[in-house]
Amino acid sequence: MKGVVFNILEDMVTEKGGLMMWQKVIDKAGVEGGYTAVSTYSDDELFSIVGAVVAELDLPAETVISAFGTYMFGQLASRYPVFVDSCDDLFSFLESIDSVIHLEVKKLLTETNLPSISCERVGDDQLVMDYRSPRRLCVLAEGLIYGAAEHYQRPIMIEHPVCMHKGSDHCDIRVQLTHE
Amino acid sequence: MSDEAELYRKAFEREREARKAAEQVVEHHTRELYLKNQKLEESLKQLKDQQRVLVQNEKLAMLGTLAAGIAHEINNPMAFVHANLESLTDYLESYQKLVELQREALTLAPDQQEVAGAKIAKHVADADLEFFEEELPELLEDTRDGLERVREIVGNLRSFARTHTQERQAADIVAGLQSTLKLLNSQFRTEVIVQQELQPLPMVQCNLSELNQVFLNLLVNAGHAVEGRKGATIGVATAVAGGQVMIKISDNGLGMSEEVKEQVFVPFFTTKPVGKGTGMGMSIAYGIIVDHGGEIEVESTEGEGTTFTIKLPIES
Repeated sequence: MKGVVFNILEDMVTEKGGLMMWQKVIDKAGVEGGYTAVSTYSDDELFSIVGAVVAELDLPAETVISAFGTYMFGQLASRYPVFVDSCDDLFSFLESIDSVIHLEVKKLLTETNLPSISCERVGDDQLVMDYRSPRRLCVLAEGLIYGAAEHYQRPIMIEHPVCMHKGSDHCDIRVQLTHE
Repeated sequence: MSDEAELYRKAFEREREARKAAEQVVEHHTRELYLKNQKLEESLKQLKDQQRVLVQNEKLAMLGTLAAGIAHEINNPMAFVHANLESLTDYLESYQKLVELQREALTLAPDQQEVAGAKIAKHVADADLEFFEEELPELLEDTRDGLERVREIVGNLRSFARTHTQERQAADIVAGLQSTLKLLNSQFRTEVIVQQELQPLPMVQCNLSELNQVFLNLLVNAGHAVEGRKGATIGVATAVAGGQVMIKISDNGLGMSEEVKEQVFVPFFTTKPVGKGTGMGMSIAYGIIVDHGGEIEVESTEGEGTTFTIKLPIES
């Protein structure tokens, strides 16, 4: 996993619980805890840290991971504004993930485990994202989509009827625009 | 928070921002490198394509040289075969006339035989049939020789170009050298002495067609080097040494300067005038020898001559 993901997780934890909490988390996870955005680290290391955060906060893992996704979107958007600036609305941004953003990631790192994402619009208000990844981080993807929706100021509702965690080979993440 | 802790926190924040900035610089350069690498890969592909075209051109140029030589080689015997056939046609006419006169004589009465005999004798003398009789076997022999030469040339050409496959098979390198030399006969015959010291070599696993291309290249270059020089000599020698076969092609021609010698195997390097040489011949030859697991070396002294030595492993 890209180091930037670790950095953002650290930012989130220190922002919510201070440096002390981050130190506790990395102690509990049994990792060194120093990461640079431009390197790649093992997935297990990330999962250990997330596990430690979950234990520390005593919240369900899904809640923590989804919240992390939402937070991560904001951070990524501020570090790499070009990706969000080049899309006018939420759906066209989601559609650009595989063809534009992941291509850029490949330029920076020889990352081989990027998820494969394809989007299909169902009418004007609904988009179904087909998510496939050996990491099975569909909940993180959900969080990221919530973060994107916040950025584009479009309230949404997400359903997740088909899921890799329920034995399917992919996830269908259904994004519905809501009109408040 | 104590003052000191606050100072540390500020220092930590500063360092973190500095690290982020450094990471952005790295990312920026990485992206640039990636894009430059992509451009380089494209250029490399273009260069490789162009090189393929040049290699093809070089082969065509060699083929041109070869075709001119072969045309000359075949033209000579064909010219005298043609002339001999013309003479034979004339002879045939005279003999047909003789047969006709004799047939006529057989139908005549005995008292007319003498006149007929005189007529036949006159025809034999006029048409110089005695000379024809002497000449005829030689004429036929020459014609046969001429056609035999044409057949040999065609045979050499076939053995020169026999294996146009990529596969390597056990082949006789001496035979390859000999067929290549014969194809160049017309270029070397009068002005150049070709000294052959061809010791028999064991069969070598190779692509003989490719090796013949190398020999042809070296021999044609040697021919150019000795052009117009007194006592122009090209030497071709083979030997076996330490599990390798050795082929030496030498000349007593112009020789090369140190600068030329250093670049002789460099692609596109040529000492020939613009439009005359592609500058690829020697680099292709080098590639073929290296591809066979062998070596090619050059020794040369300006004004004295050049020797190319090829070493090939017997089990390549």
